[in-house]
Amino acid sequence: MPGFLNRLAAPIVFLVLVLIATVTMVRDRGDIAGEGHRDLPWWRGVLLEVAIPIQRAAAAPFDALGDAWGRYIDLVGIQQENVELRSRIVLLEQENLQFREALVAGEHLERIAAMRDDFETPMLPAEVVGLDVSPWFRSVLVDRGNQHGVRAGHPVVTEQGVVGLITRTSPGAAKVMLVLDRQSTIDAVVQRSRARGLLRGLGAGELEFEFVVRESDVEVGDLIMTSGLGGLYPKGLRLGQIVALEEPGGSLVQVARVRPMVDFGRLEQVFVMLRRGPSLDLLYGPNTPAPHEKPELLPGPTSPVDSESPSEPSAAPRPIETARVDRP
Amino acid sequence: MKKWWLCLGLGLLALVVQGALATLLPPPWCPDLGLLVVLCVGLRWRGLAAGLALAGGLGFSADWLSGSLVGQHGLLRVLAFASALIAGRQLNLRAGLPLVAFVFAATLLYGIAAALISQFFLDMGWLPASVWLGGILHAAINGLCAPWVAAGVRLLGVWAGDEDGVSRALPIESSRRPV
Repeated sequence: MPGFLNRLAAPIVFLVLVLIATVTMVRDRGDIAGEGHRDLPWWRGVLLEVAIPIQRAAAAPFDALGDAWGRYIDLVGIQQENVELRSRIVLLEQENLQFREALVAGEHLERIAAMRDDFETPMLPAEVVGLDVSPWFRSVLVDRGNQHGVRAGHPVVTEQGVVGLITRTSPGAAKVMLVLDRQSTIDAVVQRSRARGLLRGLGAGELEFEFVVRESDVEVGDLIMTSGLGGLYPKGLRLGQIVALEEPGGSLVQVARVRPMVDFGRLEQVFVMLRRGPSLDLLYGPNTPAPHEKPELLPGPTSPVDSESPSEPSAAPRPIETARVDRP
Repeated sequence: MKKWWLCLGLGLLALVVQGALATLLPPPWCPDLGLLVVLCVGLRWRGLAAGLALAGGLGFSADWLSGSLVGQHGLLRVLAFASALIAGRQLNLRAGLPLVAFVFAATLLYGIAAALISQFFLDMGWLPASVWLGGILHAAINGLCAPWVAAGVRLLGVWAGDEDGVSRALPIESSRRPV
Protein backbone atom coordinates (compact mmCIF):
# COMPACT_ATOMS: atom_id res chain seq x y z
CA MET A 1 0.00 0.00 0.00
CA PRO A 2 2.75 2.54 0.85
CA GLY A 3 4.47 1.65 -2.43
CA PHE A 4 1.26 2.32 -4.32
CA LEU A 5 0.91 5.70 -2.56
CA ASN A 6 4.53 6.54 -3.31
CA ARG A 7 3.94 5.88 -6.99
CA LEU A 8 0.91 8.15 -6.91
CA ALA A 9 2.71 10.99 -5.09
CA ALA A 10 4.48 12.40 -8.12
CA PRO A 11 1.42 12.54 -10.42
CA ILE A 12 -0.64 14.05 -7.61
CA VAL A 13 1.96 16.76 -6.90
CA PHE A 14 2.24 17.45 -10.64
CA LEU A 15 -1.52 17.79 -11.07
CA VAL A 16 -1.86 19.97 -7.97
CA LEU A 17 0.90 22.32 -9.16
CA VAL A 18 -0.58 22.56 -12.66
CA LEU A 19 -4.01 23.23 -11.14
CA ILE A 20 -2.67 25.92 -8.78
CA ALA A 21 -0.76 27.59 -11.62
CA THR A 22 -3.81 27.59 -13.88
CA VAL A 23 -6.10 28.96 -11.19
CA THR A 24 -3.65 31.72 -10.24
CA MET A 25 -3.20 32.70 -13.90
CA VAL A 26 -6.96 32.93 -14.38
CA ARG A 27 -7.29 34.94 -11.16
CA ASP A 28 -4.42 37.21 -12.14
CA ARG A 29 -6.03 37.81 -15.50
CA GLY A 30 -9.21 38.77 -13.62
CA ASP A 31 -7.21 41.23 -11.53
CA ILE A 32 -5.85 42.79 -14.70
CA ALA A 33 -9.37 43.27 -16.00
CA GLY A 34 -10.12 45.22 -12.85
CA GLU A 35 -11.90 42.67 -10.72
CA GLY A 36 -9.42 42.51 -7.90
CA HIS A 37 -6.89 44.24 -5.70
CA ARG A 38 -3.20 44.04 -6.54
CA ASP A 39 -1.58 45.37 -3.37
CA LEU A 40 0.13 42.30 -1.97
CA PRO A 41 -0.13 41.49 1.74
CA TRP A 42 3.21 41.40 3.53
CA TRP A 43 3.50 37.62 3.52
CA ARG A 44 3.15 37.48 -0.25
CA GLY A 45 5.39 40.44 -0.88
CA VAL A 46 8.20 39.09 1.26
CA LEU A 47 10.25 38.01 -1.76
CA LEU A 48 10.07 41.51 -3.21
CA GLU A 49 11.20 42.91 0.14
CA VAL A 50 14.09 40.47 0.42
CA ALA A 51 15.06 40.99 -3.21
CA ILE A 52 15.66 44.73 -2.88
CA PRO A 53 18.70 44.80 -0.56
CA ILE A 54 20.26 41.74 -2.17
CA GLN A 55 19.77 43.07 -5.68
CA ARG A 56 21.14 46.43 -4.62
CA ALA A 57 24.25 44.77 -3.17
CA ALA A 58 24.65 42.48 -6.16
CA ALA A 59 24.22 45.34 -8.61
CA ALA A 60 26.70 47.66 -6.87
CA PRO A 61 29.90 46.35 -8.53
CA PHE A 62 28.17 46.19 -11.93
CA ASP A 63 26.87 49.72 -11.48
CA ALA A 64 30.34 50.99 -10.57
CA LEU A 65 31.79 49.32 -13.66
CA GLY A 66 29.02 50.71 -15.84
CA ASP A 67 29.45 54.21 -14.40
CA ALA A 68 33.19 54.22 -15.04
CA TRP A 69 32.71 53.05 -18.61
CA GLY A 70 29.84 55.50 -19.14
CA ARG A 71 31.96 58.40 -17.90
CA TYR A 72 34.73 57.46 -20.30
CA ILE A 73 32.30 57.25 -23.23
CA ASP A 74 30.70 60.54 -22.18
CA LEU A 75 34.08 62.27 -22.19
CA VAL A 76 34.81 61.07 -25.69
CA GLY A 77 31.76 62.69 -27.25
CA ILE A 78 31.18 65.54 -24.82
CA GLN A 79 32.58 68.37 -26.93
CA GLN A 80 30.50 67.60 -29.99
CA GLU A 81 27.44 67.05 -27.78
CA ASN A 82 28.04 70.38 -26.05
CA VAL A 83 27.96 72.27 -29.33
CA GLU A 84 24.80 70.48 -30.41
CA LEU A 85 23.09 71.13 -27.09
CA ARG A 86 23.94 74.83 -27.12
CA SER A 87 22.41 75.31 -30.53
CA ARG A 88 19.40 73.31 -29.43
CA ILE A 89 18.95 75.50 -26.34
CA VAL A 90 18.81 78.60 -28.51
CA LEU A 91 16.16 77.02 -30.70
CA LEU A 92 14.14 75.84 -27.73
CA GLU A 93 14.28 79.23 -26.04
CA GLN A 94 12.91 80.86 -29.16
CA GLU A 95 10.22 78.25 -29.44
CA ASN A 96 9.37 78.67 -25.78
CA LEU A 97 8.92 82.40 -26.19
CA GLN A 98 6.65 81.87 -29.16
CA PHE A 99 4.51 79.42 -27.22
CA ARG A 100 4.17 81.83 -24.30
CA GLU A 101 3.13 84.61 -26.61
CA ALA A 102 0.60 82.37 -28.27
CA LEU A 103 -0.83 81.33 -24.93
CA VAL A 104 -1.26 84.86 -23.66
CA ALA A 105 -2.56 86.20 -26.97
CA GLY A 106 -5.04 83.38 -27.30
CA GLU A 107 -6.46 83.94 -23.83
CA HIS A 108 -5.49 80.45 -22.74
CA LEU A 109 -4.95 81.41 -19.17
CA GLU A 110 -8.13 79.65 -18.16
CA ARG A 111 -6.79 76.48 -19.68
CA ILE A 112 -3.58 76.86 -17.70
CA ALA A 113 -5.61 77.22 -14.54
CA ALA A 114 -7.54 74.08 -15.40
CA MET A 115 -4.29 72.20 -15.90
CA ARG A 116 -2.93 73.30 -12.58
CA ASP A 117 -4.15 70.11 -11.08
CA ASP A 118 -1.93 68.16 -13.49
CA PHE A 119 1.10 70.19 -12.46
CA GLU A 120 0.43 69.55 -8.82
CA THR A 121 0.34 65.79 -9.05
CA PRO A 122 2.53 64.63 -6.16
CA MET A 123 5.64 62.78 -7.29
CA LEU A 124 7.41 60.16 -5.24
CA PRO A 125 11.04 59.53 -6.20
CA ALA A 126 11.97 55.87 -6.41
CA GLU A 127 15.04 53.91 -7.37
CA VAL A 128 15.06 51.02 -9.83
CA VAL A 129 16.67 48.12 -8.00
CA GLY A 130 16.05 45.22 -10.32
CA LEU A 131 14.81 44.22 -13.72
CA ASP A 132 12.50 41.46 -14.83
CA VAL A 133 13.90 38.00 -14.18
CA SER A 134 12.49 36.78 -17.47
CA PRO A 135 13.59 38.09 -20.87
CA TRP A 136 10.06 37.55 -22.21
CA PHE A 137 8.52 40.31 -20.08
CA ARG A 138 9.44 43.93 -19.42
CA SER A 139 9.07 45.11 -15.86
CA VAL A 140 11.24 46.64 -13.15
CA LEU A 141 11.31 46.56 -9.39
CA VAL A 142 11.39 49.85 -7.47
CA ASP A 143 12.22 50.46 -3.82
CA ARG A 144 8.94 52.15 -2.85
CA GLY A 145 5.79 50.32 -1.87
CA ASN A 146 2.36 50.75 -0.36
CA GLN A 147 3.78 52.03 2.94
CA HIS A 148 5.00 55.02 0.92
CA GLY A 149 1.59 55.55 -0.64
CA VAL A 150 2.26 53.68 -3.86
CA ARG A 151 -0.71 51.74 -5.22
CA ALA A 152 -1.35 49.55 -8.23
CA GLY A 153 -2.37 51.77 -11.12
CA HIS A 154 -0.08 54.69 -10.31
CA PRO A 155 1.81 55.92 -13.39
CA VAL A 156 5.61 55.99 -13.27
CA VAL A 157 7.52 58.67 -15.18
CA THR A 158 10.94 60.26 -15.56
CA GLU A 159 11.79 63.73 -16.77
CA GLN A 160 11.96 62.15 -20.26
CA GLY A 161 8.47 60.71 -20.31
CA VAL A 162 6.32 57.74 -19.32
CA VAL A 163 8.05 54.68 -17.89
CA GLY A 164 5.07 52.45 -17.10
CA LEU A 165 2.50 51.56 -14.52
CA ILE A 166 2.61 50.09 -11.03
CA THR A 167 1.12 46.60 -11.23
CA ARG A 168 1.90 45.12 -7.81
CA THR A 169 2.99 46.51 -4.49
CA SER A 170 4.29 45.16 -1.24
CA PRO A 171 4.97 47.34 1.82
CA GLY A 172 8.43 48.43 0.67
CA ALA A 173 8.59 47.57 -3.03
CA ALA A 174 6.57 47.73 -6.20
CA LYS A 175 6.64 46.15 -9.62
CA VAL A 176 6.35 48.45 -12.63
CA MET A 177 5.14 47.16 -15.98
CA LEU A 178 7.09 49.10 -18.60
CA VAL A 179 5.39 50.59 -21.65
CA LEU A 180 7.64 48.24 -23.67
CA ASP A 181 5.86 45.17 -22.29
CA ARG A 182 3.49 43.43 -24.69
CA GLN A 183 0.79 43.69 -22.05
CA SER A 184 0.94 47.49 -22.11
CA THR A 185 -1.55 49.44 -24.21
CA ILE A 186 -2.00 53.21 -23.86
CA ASP A 187 -4.56 55.54 -25.38
CA ALA A 188 -2.39 58.18 -27.09
CA VAL A 189 -2.54 61.21 -29.37
CA VAL A 190 -0.15 62.76 -31.84
CA GLN A 191 0.82 66.13 -30.39
CA ARG A 192 0.81 68.00 -33.71
CA SER A 193 -2.37 66.76 -35.35
CA ARG A 194 -4.30 65.40 -32.35
CA ALA A 195 -4.72 62.10 -34.22
CA ARG A 196 -5.74 59.46 -31.70
CA GLY A 197 -4.65 55.85 -31.51
CA LEU A 198 -3.33 53.07 -29.32
CA LEU A 199 0.30 52.70 -28.34
CA ARG A 200 1.29 49.08 -27.76
CA GLY A 201 4.42 47.53 -26.33
CA LEU A 202 6.12 44.91 -28.48
CA GLY A 203 8.34 43.31 -25.87
CA ALA A 204 11.37 44.85 -27.57
CA GLY A 205 12.93 48.30 -27.68
CA GLU A 206 10.25 49.95 -29.83
CA LEU A 207 6.53 50.61 -29.57
CA GLU A 208 3.71 50.38 -32.07
CA PHE A 209 1.16 53.15 -32.63
CA GLU A 210 -2.11 52.03 -34.25
CA PHE A 211 -4.39 54.66 -35.71
CA VAL A 212 -7.25 54.95 -38.18
CA VAL A 213 -5.90 55.90 -41.60
CA ARG A 214 -8.71 58.01 -43.04
CA GLU A 215 -9.00 60.56 -40.28
CA SER A 216 -5.42 60.84 -39.15
CA ASP A 217 -2.53 63.05 -40.04
CA VAL A 218 0.59 61.31 -38.79
CA GLU A 219 4.17 61.88 -39.95
CA VAL A 220 7.60 60.61 -39.06
CA GLY A 221 9.03 62.73 -36.25
CA ASP A 222 5.66 63.40 -34.61
CA LEU A 223 5.57 63.29 -30.84
CA ILE A 224 3.16 60.85 -29.18
CA MET A 225 1.54 61.90 -25.90
CA THR A 226 -0.91 60.27 -23.49
CA SER A 227 -4.49 61.25 -24.28
CA GLY A 228 -5.75 60.97 -20.71
CA LEU A 229 -8.64 58.82 -21.89
CA GLY A 230 -9.16 55.51 -20.17
CA GLY A 231 -8.10 56.66 -16.75
CA LEU A 232 -4.66 55.05 -16.46
CA TYR A 233 -2.30 57.88 -17.39
CA PRO A 234 -2.84 61.62 -16.99
CA LYS A 235 -3.11 63.64 -20.14
CA GLY A 236 -0.10 65.16 -21.88
CA LEU A 237 2.76 62.88 -20.79
CA ARG A 238 5.40 62.23 -23.43
CA LEU A 239 5.48 58.65 -24.71
CA GLY A 240 7.66 58.55 -27.79
CA GLN A 241 8.47 59.76 -31.26
CA ILE A 242 7.40 58.21 -34.55
CA VAL A 243 10.38 56.81 -36.44
CA ALA A 244 8.68 54.93 -39.27
CA LEU A 245 5.27 54.49 -40.86
CA GLU A 246 4.16 51.13 -42.22
CA GLU A 247 2.05 50.99 -45.37
CA PRO A 248 -1.62 50.45 -44.53
CA GLY A 249 -2.04 48.05 -47.47
CA GLY A 250 -5.78 48.62 -47.83
CA SER A 251 -6.43 48.30 -44.13
CA LEU A 252 -8.32 50.95 -42.20
CA VAL A 253 -5.75 50.84 -39.45
CA GLN A 254 -2.17 51.95 -40.01
CA VAL A 255 0.77 51.19 -37.77
CA ALA A 256 3.69 53.46 -36.93
CA ARG A 257 6.91 52.47 -35.19
CA VAL A 258 7.62 54.61 -32.17
CA ARG A 259 10.87 55.12 -30.30
CA PRO A 260 10.14 55.61 -26.59
CA MET A 261 11.21 58.90 -25.02
CA VAL A 262 12.66 57.15 -22.00
CA ASP A 263 16.06 55.50 -22.29
CA PHE A 264 15.16 52.19 -20.68
CA GLY A 265 18.73 50.99 -20.84
CA ARG A 266 19.75 53.61 -18.28
CA LEU A 267 16.73 53.63 -16.05
CA GLU A 268 17.83 54.37 -12.48
CA GLN A 269 15.66 57.05 -10.88
CA VAL A 270 11.94 57.28 -11.56
CA PHE A 271 8.97 59.17 -10.13
CA VAL A 272 5.71 57.57 -9.10
CA MET A 273 2.73 59.85 -9.76
CA LEU A 274 0.62 59.36 -6.67
CA ARG A 275 -2.65 59.83 -8.41
CA ARG A 276 -4.87 57.64 -10.47
CA GLY A 277 -7.59 58.53 -12.88
CA PRO A 278 -11.20 58.59 -11.66
CA SER A 279 -12.04 55.31 -13.33
CA LEU A 280 -9.14 53.57 -11.60
CA ASP A 281 -10.34 54.85 -8.28
CA LEU A 282 -13.60 53.13 -9.03
CA LEU A 283 -11.66 49.91 -9.54
CA TYR A 284 -9.16 50.06 -6.74
CA GLY A 285 -10.89 52.19 -4.11
CA PRO A 286 -9.93 55.62 -2.85
CA ASN A 287 -6.32 56.63 -3.31
CA THR A 288 -5.11 57.25 0.20
CA PRO A 289 -1.54 56.76 1.37
CA ALA A 290 -0.94 54.75 4.49
CA PRO A 291 -1.38 57.02 7.51
CA HIS A 292 1.63 55.78 9.47
CA GLU A 293 4.19 57.12 7.04
CA LYS A 294 4.10 60.37 5.23
CA PRO A 295 5.44 59.90 1.71
CA GLU A 296 8.52 61.84 0.71
CA LEU A 297 7.05 63.89 -2.07
CA LEU A 298 8.35 66.17 -4.71
CA PRO A 299 6.25 68.83 -6.41
CA GLY A 300 5.25 67.80 -9.86
CA PRO A 301 6.58 70.33 -12.35
CA THR A 302 8.41 67.51 -14.10
CA SER A 303 5.08 66.39 -15.49
CA PRO A 304 5.19 67.54 -19.07
CA VAL A 305 1.86 68.95 -20.15
CA ASP A 306 0.66 69.12 -23.68
CA SER A 307 -0.18 72.79 -23.98
CA GLU A 308 -1.92 72.52 -27.33
CA SER A 309 -4.63 70.15 -26.28
CA PRO A 310 -8.15 71.44 -25.81
CA SER A 311 -9.36 71.47 -22.23
CA GLU A 312 -11.61 68.64 -21.20
CA PRO A 313 -13.39 68.04 -17.92
CA SER A 314 -11.11 65.66 -16.02
CA ALA A 315 -13.62 64.41 -13.48
CA ALA A 316 -16.11 63.05 -15.99
CA PRO A 317 -16.39 59.26 -15.96
CA ARG A 318 -14.51 57.68 -18.83
CA PRO A 319 -14.47 54.22 -20.35
CA ILE A 320 -12.34 51.93 -18.23
CA GLU A 321 -9.01 50.99 -19.81
CA THR A 322 -7.36 47.80 -18.75
CA ALA A 323 -3.73 47.82 -17.81
CA ARG A 324 -2.64 45.17 -20.24
CA VAL A 325 -5.25 44.55 -22.92
CA ASP A 326 -7.13 47.21 -24.77
CA ARG A 327 -8.68 47.11 -28.18
CA PRO A 328 -9.62 50.16 -30.23
CA MET B 1 15.64 17.27 2.74
CA LYS B 2 18.81 19.29 3.27
CA LYS B 3 19.50 19.16 -0.45
CA TRP B 4 15.95 20.33 -1.18
CA TRP B 5 16.34 23.41 0.98
CA LEU B 6 19.79 24.15 -0.41
CA CYS B 7 18.51 23.92 -3.97
CA LEU B 8 15.58 26.19 -3.08
CA GLY B 9 18.02 28.72 -1.61
CA LEU B 10 20.26 28.49 -4.68
CA GLY B 11 17.26 28.99 -6.97
CA LEU B 12 16.04 32.04 -5.07
CA LEU B 13 19.54 33.51 -4.97
CA ALA B 14 19.81 32.93 -8.73
CA LEU B 15 16.58 34.88 -9.29
CA VAL B 16 17.73 37.84 -7.23
CA VAL B 17 21.21 37.92 -8.78
CA GLN B 18 19.66 37.67 -12.23
CA GLY B 19 17.45 40.68 -11.48
CA ALA B 20 20.53 42.69 -10.53
CA LEU B 21 22.53 41.41 -13.50
CA ALA B 22 19.73 42.46 -15.84
CA THR B 23 20.33 46.10 -14.93
CA LEU B 24 23.71 45.81 -16.66
CA LEU B 25 23.07 43.36 -19.49
CA PRO B 26 20.36 43.75 -22.16
CA PRO B 27 17.61 41.11 -21.87
CA PRO B 28 18.83 38.58 -24.47
CA TRP B 29 22.38 38.64 -23.10
CA CYS B 30 21.36 38.04 -19.50
CA PRO B 31 21.25 34.32 -18.68
CA ASP B 32 18.07 33.03 -17.08
CA LEU B 33 19.79 31.74 -13.95
CA GLY B 34 16.51 30.69 -12.30
CA LEU B 35 15.60 28.44 -15.22
CA LEU B 36 19.16 27.08 -15.41
CA VAL B 37 19.04 26.02 -11.76
CA VAL B 38 15.72 24.24 -12.32
CA LEU B 39 17.02 22.40 -15.41
CA CYS B 40 20.35 21.44 -13.86
CA VAL B 41 18.70 20.26 -10.66
CA GLY B 42 16.20 18.31 -12.77
CA LEU B 43 19.03 16.45 -14.50
CA ARG B 44 20.39 15.21 -11.15
CA TRP B 45 17.28 14.79 -9.04
CA ARG B 46 15.87 11.43 -8.01
CA GLY B 47 12.65 12.00 -6.03
CA LEU B 48 10.11 13.22 -8.54
CA ALA B 49 7.47 14.60 -6.15
CA ALA B 50 9.90 16.67 -4.06
CA GLY B 51 11.61 17.92 -7.20
CA LEU B 52 8.33 19.03 -8.74
CA ALA B 53 7.46 20.90 -5.56
CA LEU B 54 10.89 22.56 -5.66
CA ALA B 55 10.44 23.60 -9.29
CA GLY B 56 6.95 24.90 -8.56
CA GLY B 57 8.22 26.95 -5.63
CA LEU B 58 11.00 28.48 -7.69
CA GLY B 59 8.61 29.15 -10.56
CA PHE B 60 6.09 30.96 -8.40
CA SER B 61 8.94 32.97 -6.87
CA ALA B 62 9.98 34.00 -10.38
CA ASP B 63 6.40 35.12 -10.99
CA TRP B 64 6.61 37.58 -8.10
CA LEU B 65 9.74 39.13 -9.58
CA SER B 66 8.55 39.14 -13.16
CA GLY B 67 5.86 40.88 -15.18
CA SER B 68 4.27 37.55 -16.04
CA LEU B 69 0.90 36.28 -14.92
CA VAL B 70 1.16 34.70 -11.49
CA GLY B 71 1.54 30.98 -12.15
CA GLN B 72 2.99 31.32 -15.65
CA HIS B 73 6.58 30.65 -14.64
CA GLY B 74 5.27 28.26 -11.96
CA LEU B 75 3.64 26.04 -14.56
CA LEU B 76 6.47 26.29 -17.06
CA ARG B 77 9.20 25.51 -14.55
CA VAL B 78 7.34 22.44 -13.34
CA LEU B 79 7.16 21.26 -16.94
CA ALA B 80 10.82 22.18 -17.53
CA PHE B 81 11.88 20.25 -14.43
CA ALA B 82 9.84 17.21 -15.44
CA SER B 83 11.28 17.22 -18.94
CA ALA B 84 14.83 17.59 -17.60
CA LEU B 85 14.30 14.75 -15.17
CA ILE B 86 12.87 12.44 -17.83
CA ALA B 87 15.53 13.38 -20.39
CA GLY B 88 18.26 13.00 -17.78
CA ARG B 89 17.15 9.42 -17.09
CA GLN B 90 17.33 8.47 -20.75
CA LEU B 91 20.45 10.36 -21.84
CA ASN B 92 23.68 11.51 -20.30
CA LEU B 93 23.05 15.25 -20.29
CA ARG B 94 25.06 16.15 -17.23
CA ALA B 95 27.96 17.93 -18.89
CA GLY B 96 29.51 19.07 -22.12
CA LEU B 97 27.86 19.58 -25.47
CA PRO B 98 24.76 17.45 -24.74
CA LEU B 99 23.99 19.67 -21.74
CA VAL B 100 24.49 22.86 -23.79
CA ALA B 101 22.22 21.55 -26.57
CA PHE B 102 19.56 20.40 -24.13
CA VAL B 103 19.46 23.75 -22.28
CA PHE B 104 19.39 25.65 -25.59
CA ALA B 105 16.37 23.66 -26.76
CA ALA B 106 14.64 23.83 -23.38
CA THR B 107 15.06 27.62 -23.16
CA LEU B 108 13.67 28.10 -26.67
CA LEU B 109 10.67 25.87 -25.94
CA TYR B 110 10.18 27.71 -22.66
CA GLY B 111 9.98 31.03 -24.52
CA ILE B 112 7.50 29.65 -27.05
CA ALA B 113 5.35 28.24 -24.27
CA ALA B 114 5.46 31.55 -22.36
CA ALA B 115 4.35 33.41 -25.51
CA LEU B 116 1.54 30.91 -26.11
CA ILE B 117 0.26 31.24 -22.55
CA SER B 118 0.34 35.05 -22.78
CA GLN B 119 -1.53 34.87 -26.06
CA PHE B 120 -4.12 32.50 -24.61
CA PHE B 121 -4.82 34.41 -21.40
CA LEU B 122 -4.26 38.00 -22.51
CA ASP B 123 -5.17 37.84 -26.21
CA MET B 124 -1.93 39.53 -27.18
CA GLY B 125 -0.36 39.48 -30.60
CA TRP B 126 2.45 37.10 -31.52
CA LEU B 127 5.95 38.18 -30.60
CA PRO B 128 7.73 40.19 -33.31
CA ALA B 129 10.69 38.71 -35.17
CA SER B 130 13.19 40.87 -33.29
CA VAL B 131 12.09 39.35 -29.99
CA TRP B 132 12.46 35.85 -31.41
CA LEU B 133 15.95 36.58 -32.65
CA GLY B 134 16.73 37.86 -29.18
CA GLY B 135 15.16 34.67 -27.79
CA ILE B 136 17.46 32.46 -29.86
CA LEU B 137 20.47 34.46 -28.69
CA HIS B 138 19.21 34.20 -25.12
CA ALA B 139 18.83 30.42 -25.47
CA ALA B 140 22.41 30.21 -26.75
CA ILE B 141 23.67 32.28 -23.80
CA ASN B 142 21.74 30.02 -21.44
CA GLY B 143 23.25 26.97 -23.08
CA LEU B 144 26.78 28.34 -22.70
CA CYS B 145 26.20 29.17 -19.04
CA ALA B 146 24.66 25.76 -18.28
CA PRO B 147 27.93 23.83 -17.60
CA TRP B 148 28.88 26.31 -14.86
CA VAL B 149 25.49 26.18 -13.20
CA ALA B 150 25.47 22.39 -13.51
CA ALA B 151 28.87 22.26 -11.83
CA GLY B 152 27.55 24.48 -9.04
CA VAL B 153 24.51 22.27 -8.54
CA ARG B 154 26.73 19.19 -8.48
CA LEU B 155 29.01 20.74 -5.85
CA LEU B 156 25.96 21.66 -3.81
CA GLY B 157 24.76 18.08 -4.03
CA VAL B 158 28.12 16.77 -2.88
CA TRP B 159 28.23 19.25 -0.04
CA ALA B 160 24.73 18.23 1.02
CA GLY B 161 25.95 14.63 1.31
CA ASP B 162 24.29 13.41 -1.85
CA GLU B 163 26.51 10.68 -3.29
CA ASP B 164 24.77 11.04 -6.61
CA GLY B 165 26.75 14.18 -7.29
CA VAL B 166 29.98 12.18 -7.37
CA SER B 167 29.32 8.55 -8.08
CA ARG B 168 26.91 8.97 -10.99
CA ALA B 169 28.70 11.72 -12.77
CA LEU B 170 30.12 9.14 -15.20
CA PRO B 171 27.58 6.34 -15.21
CA ILE B 172 28.82 4.56 -18.34
CA GLU B 173 31.50 2.04 -17.54
CA SER B 174 34.01 0.72 -19.99
CA SER B 175 33.08 -2.62 -21.53
CA ARG B 176 36.71 -3.64 -21.85
CA ARG B 177 37.78 -6.12 -19.24
CA PRO B 178 41.34 -6.35 -17.96
CA VAL B 179 43.28 -9.24 -19.39
